[in-house]
Amino acid sequence: MYIDKEYLENYKNLLFSDFEEVREERDNVLKKFVPIYFDKKNNESIKNVDNNKLANLNYNYKKPADVDSAIKNSNNSYTIKLFNGKCDNYKDENLEIKNIDSNDSKFFFNNKLANTSDFLIDLNSLFLNCGVKIIVNKNKNIDIKILNIVLEDGLTIFQKNLIICEEGSKVNLVEEYNNQNSSIHNIYNVFEVKKKSVLNQFVIQNNSKNHELYLSSYASCMKSSEYDQKVYNFSNGYVRNYHYSELVEENSTVSHIGFFFINSDNISDNKTYVRHLAANCQSNQIYKGVLTDKSKANYFSNTYVDKIAQKTEGYQLSKGILLSKDSTYFSKPELRIFADDVKCSHGSTIGPVDENAIFYLRSRGISKNTAIKMIISSFINDDLENISNEQIKSIVTKNLNEFLDNIV
Amino acid sequence: MNSEITKTIDDINQEKYKYGFVTDIVSESPKKGLDENTIKFISNKKNEPDWMLEWRLNAYRKWLKMKKPIWSNLNIPNIDYQDIYYYSAPKGFEEKPKDLSEVDPKLIETYNKLGIPLAEQKVLAGVAVDAVFDSVSVATTYKGELEKLGIIFCSISEAIKTHPELIKKYLGSVIPTGDHSFSALNSAVFTDGSFVYIPENVKCPIELSTYFRINAEDTGQFERTLIIADKGSYVSYLEGCTAPQRDSNQLHAANVELIALDDAEIKYSTIQNWYPGDEEGKGGIYNFVTKRGLCKGKNSKISWTQVETGSAITWKYPSCILKGDDSIGEFYSVAITNNYQQADTGTKMTHIGKNTKSKIISKGISLGKSQNTYRGNVSFLRKADKSRNYTQCDSLLVGNNCGAHTIPYIESKNSSALVEHEASTSKINEEQLYYCRQRGLSHEEAVSLIVNGFCKQVLQELPMEFAVEAQKLVSISLEGSVG
Repeated sequence: MYIDKEYLENYKNLLFSDFEEVREERDNVLKKFVPIYFDKKNNESIKNVDNNKLANLNYNYKKPADVDSAIKNSNNSYTIKLFNGKCDNYKDENLEIKNIDSNDSKFFFNNKLANTSDFLIDLNSLFLNCGVKIIVNKNKNIDIKILNIVLEDGLTIFQKNLIICEEGSKVNLVEEYNNQNSSIHNIYNVFEVKKKSVLNQFVIQNNSKNHELYLSSYASCMKSSEYDQKVYNFSNGYVRNYHYSELVEENSTVSHIGFFFINSDNISDNKTYVRHLAANCQSNQIYKGVLTDKSKANYFSNTYVDKIAQKTEGYQLSKGILLSKDSTYFSKPELRIFADDVKCSHGSTIGPVDENAIFYLRSRGISKNTAIKMIISSFINDDLENISNEQIKSIVTKNLNEFLDNIV
Repeated sequence: MNSEITKTIDDINQEKYKYGFVTDIVSESPKKGLDENTIKFISNKKNEPDWMLEWRLNAYRKWLKMKKPIWSNLNIPNIDYQDIYYYSAPKGFEEKPKDLSEVDPKLIETYNKLGIPLAEQKVLAGVAVDAVFDSVSVATTYKGELEKLGIIFCSISEAIKTHPELIKKYLGSVIPTGDHSFSALNSAVFTDGSFVYIPENVKCPIELSTYFRINAEDTGQFERTLIIADKGSYVSYLEGCTAPQRDSNQLHAANVELIALDDAEIKYSTIQNWYPGDEEGKGGIYNFVTKRGLCKGKNSKISWTQVETGSAITWKYPSCILKGDDSIGEFYSVAITNNYQQADTGTKMTHIGKNTKSKIISKGISLGKSQNTYRGNVSFLRKADKSRNYTQCDSLLVGNNCGAHTIPYIESKNSSALVEHEASTSKINEEQLYYCRQRGLSHEEAVSLIVNGFCKQVLQELPMEFAVEAQKLVSISLEGSVG
């Protein structure tokens, strides 16, 4: 175990290193990494994570030199470039963007997932070194695009962002991860979706082979709010998507939708966890994946319904297509229900491309390859058509076509 | 919630355990506690050969090093293994009675109270019964007729003496002694159970059945069942349980192993209705059962059907290893929990061979303050080409103090295999209730009817004798006035 050594050596460079209470908390977190607790078998959060790699972490963080992270503003739409998890401060009537500095230790303790035994989130708390806070003001309707840019090779970025959508706001958020270097990027987003606000989030991941991305998020949804998350993973490198949300007040809805397309010996880890803590809430968790070569994927989904969360509707769906005989897909759709007046269900399928569908297409003169491609694109097509943002639609379509070109 | 539903729930909560009585037979037990001497005592008492004793001691040594499995969704109190009697045999049974008239009339009376037709009526119904009263087999009827076909149906202790070659070959071959702590414990101290061997191409003409009864207080009962179906054979085996009302918790850790060779079929049905504890959750049986079937040969089939209504804690996963090509595994389950009962039950289907198929139908009903969990594992290994699985697990919640959980694990390593899983959780449909009430059924009758319909897919898999009993049991577990 070298995590403790790395931690002690680099402590001074971490965020909030001046605060005694943060130090105490971090020391507690560190205890979890003592080998005896490093229990891979019973910990979902590291199921496919290379233990050695995790233990032999080489901490390396550099603040970006003065780069132009200008926030372009036109008609309520913003583009934020985060270089190594940092950007310039910005404020106008719609929103405020603040770089996290070492003054506000409350930010460190804003972590509802501290006790979920998710090692990668614990690691994020331990080595936290950058992040931003974005506050969208009341009743504003804006578009935000965040580009997460890692500047060089060999970095370890432990980033935590806080995004607050104030009452009645409507935010379209696009996050892009398009990094072509061999760094480790551990990012933890905390969303506060306040009363009657709407947050639509698109996450597009397209990293190169040696880039590791650990993306975790936690969202708390207040009364009559809506949180809609869509994740598209086209990366050639390892990506871990763990997304948690809590429906804290009545009439809120949340959906976690994800698509992953992976090849060679790549791994995709996915988890969604929705906790229903109030009545009349709805949730959807849908993940679909296509796997080729020796790729491997996991999907854990979980719906928890508290005793008071009556009239809950919670649905889960997981679909996996295995295109090669060496690919592996594991899914664990869990329901934990403590209220009686609920409608909850899950469905899960894993299998090859439907033989009958291929036969149908081939009997109409379409080649086998084209048939398989048509069927796979139809697998996510109905969802694509619902995307109103043309720009995202074209990015997703482009990446999908690239993936399809490479599979045969 | 309307008042009638509340009333029904109250009625259900007040439902007393109907089979709670204790038969007063002097039990012969060694001292409490578990060490190598206890195992030697049991082995000696049963006149076992040395290799068997060695096998037990091996398992015991493995057990000492093992920890209790922790992954289940159960709240298991700490079990003091030194506070349990590991052997209890009704006195005077060293010499087995040859027919029913020689059996202790008190025993017969106990069975009659339970409605177990051990005597004439069951014989007429065509069932041979190997009744286990505590730990020693009492009587085995119909043995002669089965012998004519070459079928061996006896207690496992007898089989150890008379058919050591089969025992040596198959005992522990499906559930290795060191599989987990409960299986190791069972292997070390098992006292009795059934042994069945069906020779090649024989279709067993009657349903074999065992009634297990836990009787003496503080007696952990550790049965061991081994069923071997040779090439082309067929057998249907029934197992059912009820236990008297007791205050202190009783431990039960059985192991059941099934082996099906080429073209053989085994159908194993269980009704479990042990004492679940009282309304406060006091007492009740702890039921930690390991059941596993191996479809060893081509084209073999193993089918598990279970109706679980009793026990304070149920920890049970009848599973199938589909090793032979074209083999089939099935699992049908109804689990009903009430009061403070906890159940974590499900199945494991491991597809190894080509063209293997499995089907899982699980129905869970939670009432009172109980917790009911379905936990299933379906996995396709690399060579399981064109294999298929279909899983359906539905849960019904009655009242808002209970919990229903579904935890499936699904893994596919083969691109031509197809797995489908569906699950739903809901309460009793108001419209269905309304419809039934409109046609003149009382609220209780309506609930019972709907629940029986909910379980029908599973209940219809049971053999005739059991199906009637099971339907009754479902109704009894559900309500206070219907039944």
